[in-house]
Amino acid sequence: MIAPVRDGTTSSTAYDDLSYTRGGTVDRAEVGVLVQSAADGDAAAWKALVDGLGPLVWSVVRAHGLSDADAHEVYQTAWFRFTQHLGRIREPEKTGSWLASTARHECLKVIRASQRWTPTDDVHLLDRASEDRTPEESVLDSEEAAAQTERVRRLWQEFEELGERCRQLLRVLMASPPPSYQEVSAALGIAVGSIGPMRQRCLRRLRAKLETRGTT
Amino acid sequence: MSATHEDGDGEGLFPGGEADDGLLADALLEEELRQAAAILDPVPAALRTIAVEAYALRDLDARLAELTFDSLVDSLPVRGEETPPRMLTFQAGAVTVDVEVGDEGLIGQVLPPGPAEVEVLSGPRPRARLTADDLGRFAGEAPPAGPFALRLRTGGEVVVTEWLRA
Repeated sequence: MIAPVRDGTTSSTAYDDLSYTRGGTVDRAEVGVLVQSAADGDAAAWKALVDGLGPLVWSVVRAHGLSDADAHEVYQTAWFRFTQHLGRIREPEKTGSWLASTARHECLKVIRASQRWTPTDDVHLLDRASEDRTPEESVLDSEEAAAQTERVRRLWQEFEELGERCRQLLRVLMASPPPSYQEVSAALGIAVGSIGPMRQRCLRRLRAKLETRGTT
Repeated sequence: MSATHEDGDGEGLFPGGEADDGLLADALLEEELRQAAAILDPVPAALRTIAVEAYALRDLDARLAELTFDSLVDSLPVRGEETPPRMLTFQAGAVTVDVEVGDEGLIGQVLPPGPAEVEVLSGPRPRARLTADDLGRFAGEAPPAGPFALRLRTGGEVVVTEWLRA
């Protein structure tokens, strides 16, 4: 699986770069322009922001392990609040970090509140998988894709069995498009410099688990 | 890892090969996770719609009152069975809004004290309207679950609090 891509130093250099300029700097420069347009009244730009940064916000919420109900509310809170800050964000190109950090703080409040109060009737929501079935998911359900489905499920299962820190980090990193390290830092409150080494450790731990089970 | 991760081509040809393989394999595994997340845990469609529609919540006339105190963050936990009310303070220039949300409902006060029209916003849903008395005090039902904000018309100024989850 790895061999065909490998062509000596070119690919390794490219992937070296990738780990530092992740998230495609082009995408993120676009974000600044979109924020400006949305602030000026362009609803299509807003929609593009929701599509471009929504998965990051959702990843942050999921990384914090909230119940579905809480996750939905925090996601909404982050976007509602962004409508209020649209015209006043100092560095619009860093909007991803702003949203990630806003979502994180709301998550921490939810966690605090639930520690303070006895959790009540949220329990039945905890295990509920996402009810919205994406087109991809439907495709995966077809017979031909059964093997791939199995692989994806096992990957996910091993991922969910990782320790909490790795699960959090990887859940944020797997947002699409890939977040920048600044955004990951804002999402999890960890130093940018520690993300690369942690990412490497966590991915290798996951790979070791997969190999143990003979999935790779 | 090197033992389990043998892909058979030229260990000797590329001295740095092992490390590069690692980086590449990391990137590939991360990408695989990204695809898995898109399939198994995507942004729920309903939430995407709500976020898109939230654009209509932009309030160009109102001055933003930022959250300056939140009992959930800024005060020590209180022991006991009772759920303590959430106490919030918002500030927009000289205008301060104190809010308490608890089982009893929502009460608040605008400072400097004075009459005010207060709307309780909860996303795209219809808004509840409250009136603050001459001392700036107002009361109503607790906002429904989900994020809420208060929009106040007081002393010729419109102020809206930051969206918050009660």
